[in-house]
Amino acid sequence: MEMEHIDKSFPGVKALDDVSFRLRAGEVMALLGENGAGKSTLMKILSGVYPKDSGTIRIFEKDVQDINPKKAQELGVAIIHQELNLCGHLTVAENIFLGHETMKNGLLSDKEMRLEAKKVLDELNMDISPDAVVGDLAVSKQQMIEIAKALSINAKILIMDEPTSALTSKEIEDLFLIIRKLTSQGMGIVYISHRLEELQHIVDRITIMRDGKYITSMDFKDTSLQEIITNMVGREIKEKFPRVSCAKGKKILEVKHLNAGNMVKDISLELYEGEIVGIAGLMGAGRTETTRAIFGVDPKESGEIILDGETIHINNPMDAIRAGIVLAPEDRKKDGLCTKLSIRENVGLPNLDFLSNRFGIIKRKKEEKITMQAVDNLKIKVSSIENNADSLSGGNMQKVVVGKWLARKSRVVIFDEPTRGIDVGAKVEIYHLMNDLKKQGIGVMFVSSEMPEVIGISDRVIVMCDGRITGVFSTEEVSQDLILECATKFESKLDGTMELQEHVRKSVQTGGKHE
Amino acid sequence: MNNKNIFRRIISTRGMGQVITVSFGLVVLIIAFGFMNPTFLSGKNIGNLLRQIAPILLIGIGQSYLLITGNIDLSIGSVVGMSCMISATLMTKGVNPWVAVAVTFCCCLVVGVVNGTLVAGCGLPPFIATLGTMTIARGIAQIVNNNYNTDSIGLGAEGFRNFFYYGKVIGLYNTIIIAVLFWLVFNFVLNRTRFGRHVYAVGSNIDASRLSGVNITKTITMAYMVSSICSCTVGLVICATSGMGTMDAGNMYEMYGVAASVIGGISPLGGQGILLGTVIGASIWGTLQNGLQFAGAPVAIRNILIGIIVVVSVLVDIMVRKGKFASRKKRSIK
Repeated sequence: MEMEHIDKSFPGVKALDDVSFRLRAGEVMALLGENGAGKSTLMKILSGVYPKDSGTIRIFEKDVQDINPKKAQELGVAIIHQELNLCGHLTVAENIFLGHETMKNGLLSDKEMRLEAKKVLDELNMDISPDAVVGDLAVSKQQMIEIAKALSINAKILIMDEPTSALTSKEIEDLFLIIRKLTSQGMGIVYISHRLEELQHIVDRITIMRDGKYITSMDFKDTSLQEIITNMVGREIKEKFPRVSCAKGKKILEVKHLNAGNMVKDISLELYEGEIVGIAGLMGAGRTETTRAIFGVDPKESGEIILDGETIHINNPMDAIRAGIVLAPEDRKKDGLCTKLSIRENVGLPNLDFLSNRFGIIKRKKEEKITMQAVDNLKIKVSSIENNADSLSGGNMQKVVVGKWLARKSRVVIFDEPTRGIDVGAKVEIYHLMNDLKKQGIGVMFVSSEMPEVIGISDRVIVMCDGRITGVFSTEEVSQDLILECATKFESKLDGTMELQEHVRKSVQTGGKHE
Repeated sequence: MNNKNIFRRIISTRGMGQVITVSFGLVVLIIAFGFMNPTFLSGKNIGNLLRQIAPILLIGIGQSYLLITGNIDLSIGSVVGMSCMISATLMTKGVNPWVAVAVTFCCCLVVGVVNGTLVAGCGLPPFIATLGTMTIARGIAQIVNNNYNTDSIGLGAEGFRNFFYYGKVIGLYNTIIIAVLFWLVFNFVLNRTRFGRHVYAVGSNIDASRLSGVNITKTITMAYMVSSICSCTVGLVICATSGMGTMDAGNMYEMYGVAASVIGGISPLGGQGILLGTVIGASIWGTLQNGLQFAGAPVAIRNILIGIIVVVSVLVDIMVRKGKFASRKKRSIK
């Protein structure tokens, strides 16, 4: 497969500028670049989602014009998008065959589709019933269904856009096994990922893009991680994890014996001025739930929250915000921003109490002022604060989320996976941002699944497993091994009754489900 | 053993749970009305009741198709009026009734195509697009006979009137037979054809469907055409019933269609529900109308009660779904 001299413009932006890309059968090609480098756009052109402006595409040495999703399928190009694209109400088999249903005498042949789906799933060693409704399955299983879907059209070229961002390490290993199996059958795979450390396990060659331009292609074994990053960013990132030291001040926040639902069990933690606390753990360890319980989104069963020496009662997010505890949620687009509103309106939203007069009329000037402040302070790249929030890249969105909270004097900022899905350069900026907060004496707490990040940036690491805290370490003593050990400390040390063992077995099995 | 399997398969069909729940409601209603006034259960009234349910079922089939795709058709009532007026006007002018029927079908299909093009092709919100065609279609209903209801469609149209309303086959009024046939056909289409599968897929996740190669525009346009075919038929039934064309025939029918669908468990958010539910929903709607009349409730009380039932049934649906969502969350957390 070859793509040459591809150009693509969107209104106001040149998304792709003379990009060429080659993929051989049986290889895994990593397509790398920062967010907004044009990787996804290039792949969407290949799979027929967007039309190209100019350039040629050759698949198996045949020129291809006017691709649409249907034609791409027929040509054997399958794409697994970053966001899962499945119909939640339909069954596994129905999803796998959507758009290319098996027909018999002009009617759907459900029986055959079910059998065929079962066959494909077996090939992938997936224990999923073809009759299960997709919406009921865990995210990782849904990911596998996407792959099954690709296989069912006999894809020769498979594009995976950030396939591992929702998977646990075990599931990633499974996925890699499948990838190897597929390449050995001659399939060409394009693999887009921000997690550079994954690449060494599967990738044969890499292509790097930056700002819509093709930068370089090379064999993976001839290069180093440092070289890749330099090429991606166009400048050398010296410190991946900038750290500032800061005198530990007084205690800001203390949580005592917090219980909420199944996933938050007897959580006690402390947060001091001038420190960043990282919360590590596997997916489903209850980290997100803990932050939600503190912030008042989910109801608490028991426990005490003490802010600046005073016990406070948080029954809903409003209480938390008033007290000065704010949360930057995991899913920026869904929970963090009103994407159809402007940046100004987003920053203003939680601050309308002091932005409006007593008749509820919003003081526009003041709103603009705090937005401009946020933009300046956080170095948010915007052409205008009136642009929609969804026009921003992931990193800048994250900054807007933080910006809206900093306009009011918050005491504690909780981040949930602040760097998920954003590129290396923007990640470092988020770290700087957290460091700035720390220097201002604001308590920072963040949940992250990336261990190097937790270790690199936090002053203290709390490890959770199964809804409990299983370890607390200072930066000096922490290591990846230690975190992993604590993160897998399921409740097995208790009495070895059958019932408990059963419970542990279950929690190990389902430990990877989406939080 | 085999019977048991079939039974289990029916029970486990997607969306069946809710239909069963609502069916209980229907049975309770029928028993209650029977107690209040035994004539309610007389053979004659049952016949009438079914004939009252039939048009609502027809409307409901069309609206259900659209609700499942995540859209809505507000033009249904006006298309009913249009169909009634166009067919009646043609017949009073001496056109052969069956030719008139064919012409009427073509006109109504145009509305469906326009709806589909506006919504799926041009990207108009369905609420707005069909609000427009609703007004236009009503205007056409008024203009075809110069803003008057038509005269009697005359003796030449006896065959037409019998076919759509007065005739009987195996002891059932033709209207009922037509509704049942429509239901059988469109239920089959929805469950066993590629188009039907795409109707569900589009309503469940439009982006995923597009990326899977589903032709969104075609699917939605065809759903609107199904709806206009159903509405057209109801217009013809009304014309056959009264033997004349009335300009405001079918007023508010689009909402009856929504009510029948959502009572029967079809989600107004798309992707969910089965056409069997629409039968039950339409039956509940018709039974309430007919039964309350028998019980001597004034029209005002009927309206209030029916309104409450619509809201409550959707409310129950939302609560059930929330509960389901919560339990799903819990399951994944354990």
